[in-house]
Amino acid sequence: MRLLRLFQKPFFGIISLFFLVAFATSLVCISAVDSQLSKEYTENSEGLARSIADSSVDILLNRDLSTLQALIDKSLDIQGISYIYITNENREILAHTFVPFVPDEVLQGIEELFQIDPSSPVHRPLNLSGIGDFLEVSFPILRSEAGRVQILMDQDNISLKIQNAIGQQVIWMAIILTVGFFLVLILVNLTYNPIRETLNYATGLARGESMEDPKIQTLLERKDETGDLARLFQYFASVRDPDKTGRLPGKKEE
Amino acid sequence: MKTNKNQPSLTRASRRTVMKGVLAGSLLTPFGLVHLRAQDSQMSNSSPLTSASHTQGISDNEIVLGTSAAFTGPSRGLGIELYRGAMAYFQHVNENGGVHGRKIVLKLYDDTYNADPAVENTMKLMLEDQVFALFGYVGTPTVTRVLPLLKKFQEQEFVLFFPFTGAQPQRQPPYGPFAFNLRASYRQETAGLVDNFVGIGRKKIGVFYQADAYGRSGWAGVREALSKHHLKIVGEVTYKRGEKFTNSYEAQVERLNRDKPEAVICIGAYAACAGFLRDAVDGDLKVPIANLSFVGSENLLKLIVDSQEDPGEYSRYLVNSQVVPSYEDLSLAGIAQYDDFMQKFNPGLPPQWADSDYKTFDRSFVSLEGFINARLMTEILQRIGPEPTRGKIEEAVFTIDNLDLGIGEMVSFNEARRQGLDKVYYTIVDRDKNVFVPLREGEWSKVF
Repeated sequence: MRLLRLFQKPFFGIISLFFLVAFATSLVCISAVDSQLSKEYTENSEGLARSIADSSVDILLNRDLSTLQALIDKSLDIQGISYIYITNENREILAHTFVPFVPDEVLQGIEELFQIDPSSPVHRPLNLSGIGDFLEVSFPILRSEAGRVQILMDQDNISLKIQNAIGQQVIWMAIILTVGFFLVLILVNLTYNPIRETLNYATGLARGESMEDPKIQTLLERKDETGDLARLFQYFASVRDPDKTGRLPGKKEE
Repeated sequence: MKTNKNQPSLTRASRRTVMKGVLAGSLLTPFGLVHLRAQDSQMSNSSPLTSASHTQGISDNEIVLGTSAAFTGPSRGLGIELYRGAMAYFQHVNENGGVHGRKIVLKLYDDTYNADPAVENTMKLMLEDQVFALFGYVGTPTVTRVLPLLKKFQEQEFVLFFPFTGAQPQRQPPYGPFAFNLRASYRQETAGLVDNFVGIGRKKIGVFYQADAYGRSGWAGVREALSKHHLKIVGEVTYKRGEKFTNSYEAQVERLNRDKPEAVICIGAYAACAGFLRDAVDGDLKVPIANLSFVGSENLLKLIVDSQEDPGEYSRYLVNSQVVPSYEDLSLAGIAQYDDFMQKFNPGLPPQWADSDYKTFDRSFVSLEGFINARLMTEILQRIGPEPTRGKIEEAVFTIDNLDLGIGEMVSFNEARRQGLDKVYYTIVDRDKNVFVPLREGEWSKVF
């Protein structure tokens, strides 16, 4: 299948435009998914941290820590939440979900959480060496008088979701591009055929050949621009040599 | 046909609705169901219990108790041995006419030592099977999640008897009134271990624990006991519930080596604790390594013995706390009876899991605990009388005052006391016989 020279530039222009649109859409998608997911995860985590903090007051004051542990273990089922730990007012970790041990970065960062703002939620990035990047959401228990609840959300999880979203988008774009490419070729060829016939007809006329081919008759009967062009060539030829023009459009030979 | 004021008030439809609500989000896991007679292996004809005379797990011929425990998975040894010990006594009772003419039947479900199946099983036991009482549950993470169900359906007066866990939730408000415990608590076990270690000058204590409610309960016990000596845990490491012996615990050992503990207290199940012991000794963490009663001492030792060329090099560091006396102490009437009944009846695996490759133990601390649980359960059923209802349970239990079960410690219950036993025993491994033997007071400094 050969592409008509006439259509080559517009065709490659369309392809370039397509890639530009795909790239721009991906960027917008990355930005939207990233901000939306981050916002959603943060809000969910803060809501969960608030809920655990509210529940923890009673448990910390009146009950066994195994109940507190059971509470946070159950919360780990929520997507995107990697670790939860609860500290008391003395900065001791009373319950956590780390295996095989609490990372040093977590232990070293506890004091800072109490210093930043004892009465408000704190959000901060946290890198745990050998484990990954996390967003830490910390919520006070009784204005930090009874401790704080911390939830670590996996940033890699958000990145993975973005990658998945972009990957899906790229796959769909590639499918659309492939289908579109073949569709354009088919359409171009549909256009190209009557032009070629018109060209052949004009060339034949120029050479003074007899034009009795049934295809020529079909061409001369077309209602579009190629039909008009063919009839125009026929008219010019008839002016020059009335015997070799075939018949005029709409007139049957007797 | 008798009617009873304690008959469940929920209709079948509403029960289904409640079940759906409570179980929403839970994973549906395969569970096994066996319905055992102690005397023979026929399936019970009392299920489902539909007529009024069959409500509350009581029929003319049977008293049905419901159990959810680990019968498969890495902790199956605990559920199986506890069941075998209980069956040794229940078979004896049933062969001798049962309790007021009724045989004791256990309805079993497997929860694989996981909370969601345990909740699901308990719902089935309470709402569909309508057992008389819950008996012989295994594990803290499971029991902790089941307790709210007992509170939720408190109008039906279900009681949980003698769970195989020393955790606090079923020993204190708000769920304490829904359970009766026989064994000493983890607090008592960990306090005993800490006191003895500190007593021989080992004050730097590290903890290896299961990352769940059970591990946390033991961790809290160690922390509390150390604080009484003005000490703190020097290092702590965790593992995920369900980890196997073949897993590596080198990361935990490496971390603890950094903190240089003089003793390590493990709060876990046998597979992981055996793996940790192996890697600790191999990793030059050669300090006394203690385990709580829940660990399943014989299962732990078997893994070491079966896998190591010189098991004594590993087992020499072991010291396990127990909540029942040594099964070697046949001078105690209750232990002699246990020894006799285990030989006589030699209970097998629960029929549903009979094709398991699990190798049973002739005797073990876990089956001994199951045996003692069954003996006390039978006594309670006797005291409830010939027309049992759940409403009579508590009153009957509170009549138990200085009851001698033949284990060297009297059992009492009352309004303020819902735990029968308090004594903690300590055992080490006899490296010639590869069995646990008592470690008595005053011997700690000689051994460690």
